[in-house]
Amino acid sequence: MAEAVYILCALTSVACAVLLLRGWKRSQSRLLLWSGLCFVGMAVSNVLLFVDLVILPTTIDLYMPRLLATLASVAVLLYGLIWDAS
Amino acid sequence: MLRSMINGAVAMGWLACALFFLRFWKQSRERLFAFFSLSFVMLAANSVAAALMDAQDERRYYLYLARLVAFLIILYAIWDKNRAARNGGG
Repeated sequence: MAEAVYILCALTSVACAVLLLRGWKRSQSRLLLWSGLCFVGMAVSNVLLFVDLVILPTTIDLYMPRLLATLASVAVLLYGLIWDAS
Repeated sequence: MLRSMINGAVAMGWLACALFFLRFWKQSRERLFAFFSLSFVMLAANSVAAALMDAQDERRYYLYLARLVAFLIILYAIWDKNRAARNGGG
């Protein structure tokens, strides 16, 4: 069950990223670009989550890379919101 | 310690994003922004919970369930926006 949730997290974040970036290509709205990039980072984080908890043995811990990917996503979105979107 | 700190920073970041989207929603009354704001509040709560929880805690699984719900809210928001655009609305 947990594995299914990890896979769905990865798939939904990839879907969010694709839809937001497609929206950006269509409308050229910068807000959509930054949101899309944020979700690209979240997708990386969630793919790492699956790799870490399901594929790799428990001796290898990818918690820190996952956390840093999430931090980078937030930073990208905040940067966009503060400097670009309004 | 470092993990908790980064989790806290991530939570603060999501909350700031949520407030930005809340402002956009107040200005434009567009539902997409309200859904985005809600989703980012959920992600912020998620990070706070992750910071407070022990790495070996069995309940960590529910964190990812909440994260999944936040992503589904974003997907619904995009679908809702596209549907409104197709119907000639805003």
